[in-house]
Amino acid sequence: MSLDPPILLAVAAVAATLGTVGGFGGAVLLVPLLVATGTDPLVAAPVGLVTVGAGALAAAPGQLAAGVVHHRLGLTIEIPASLAALAAAAWSVNAPGDTLRYVLAAIVLAAGVAGFTRPIPRNQPQPEFVAEPPAEWPGTLGGTYAGPGGPVPYRARRLPGGLAGMVVAGAITGLAGVGGGFVKTPVMREVMWIPIKVAAATATFSVALTTSIALIVYAGQGRIDPESAVAAGLGGLVGGVLGARIQQRLDPTGLRRLLGVLLLGVAVVLVVTR
Amino acid sequence: MSEQGPHPLVGRQRRMILALRVSLALAATLALGGLLLPGETGRALAWGFVGLVIAAPVVRTGWLALRWWRRGDPRFALVAVGVLGVVALAAVLSW
Repeated sequence: MSLDPPILLAVAAVAATLGTVGGFGGAVLLVPLLVATGTDPLVAAPVGLVTVGAGALAAAPGQLAAGVVHHRLGLTIEIPASLAALAAAAWSVNAPGDTLRYVLAAIVLAAGVAGFTRPIPRNQPQPEFVAEPPAEWPGTLGGTYAGPGGPVPYRARRLPGGLAGMVVAGAITGLAGVGGGFVKTPVMREVMWIPIKVAAATATFSVALTTSIALIVYAGQGRIDPESAVAAGLGGLVGGVLGARIQQRLDPTGLRRLLGVLLLGVAVVLVVTR
Repeated sequence: MSEQGPHPLVGRQRRMILALRVSLALAATLALGGLLLPGETGRALAWGFVGLVIAAPVVRTGWLALRWWRRGDPRFALVAVGVLGVVALAAVLSW
């Protein structure tokens, strides 16, 4: 059941670096690559989720210090996501034949297409909020984000639609072992009108919880191999830090498109190779 | 809102940031130990790493529930407790 730890560490580090730079998370690349090279999807899923959890842990201190995590929003969206993840993780061992492979191909395809979308700024800077700290407002699903043009106040809109999207994200995590951040962030951004940086950081917090729940179920099913998990997790930690540094120096739009093409290629390989 | 200054309930969560940094350092140490040390010791450290990855966001959620309850935000404290309930349900169903 063990994957070769040094190779897994290297592949996980590269996948996490690219996933962080592209903003879709390392497991979206790692799990399909493992499956395409012959690993059972049921073995690859927990390996992917450990990298997701490790990457979220690596990102958390910096995101909190920047005041871009909206904990109240993250936990509100987490209830449907975690229930869906729990149900999907429990069901995944009974998934027939190539179902998980095709689900993975669809997920990678969706993540690749998301790389070509262009976010529309929904909230504008408000100079009168200059004394407001960049943080969430207690008791609400609103807050202030320190944007480049000044403080940007925001509040979550269309909560039911947002929560429905989180069910999809949670199911993806529980079923396929990839983080649902590439669904959660666009849903928060486009449906709930949360600023992109707040949405991304809040999704990281929320995905960490979804990951924990799915990993608890996988552990109960005896699907976690500690040697593979630790190699992939360490790779996820290293790749997360490297990716964050590269992301700050390069043009994110061009990179996202390049990685989008790469993901589309991985989706094709997943469907073609059996 | 700006004339009143920062809301008294808004904190920058310094203790949580510190706790997360310590958890990250511990996770990296456990992962290295789990990867490099042979036998049962390495295996135990590897399981410790997996356990820490699972526990860190759960403990963070419990911390937030307590914090919001004490600071007069019971609605979101209950939301946090609801998430912890799902975690507990997952644990019960798995064992």
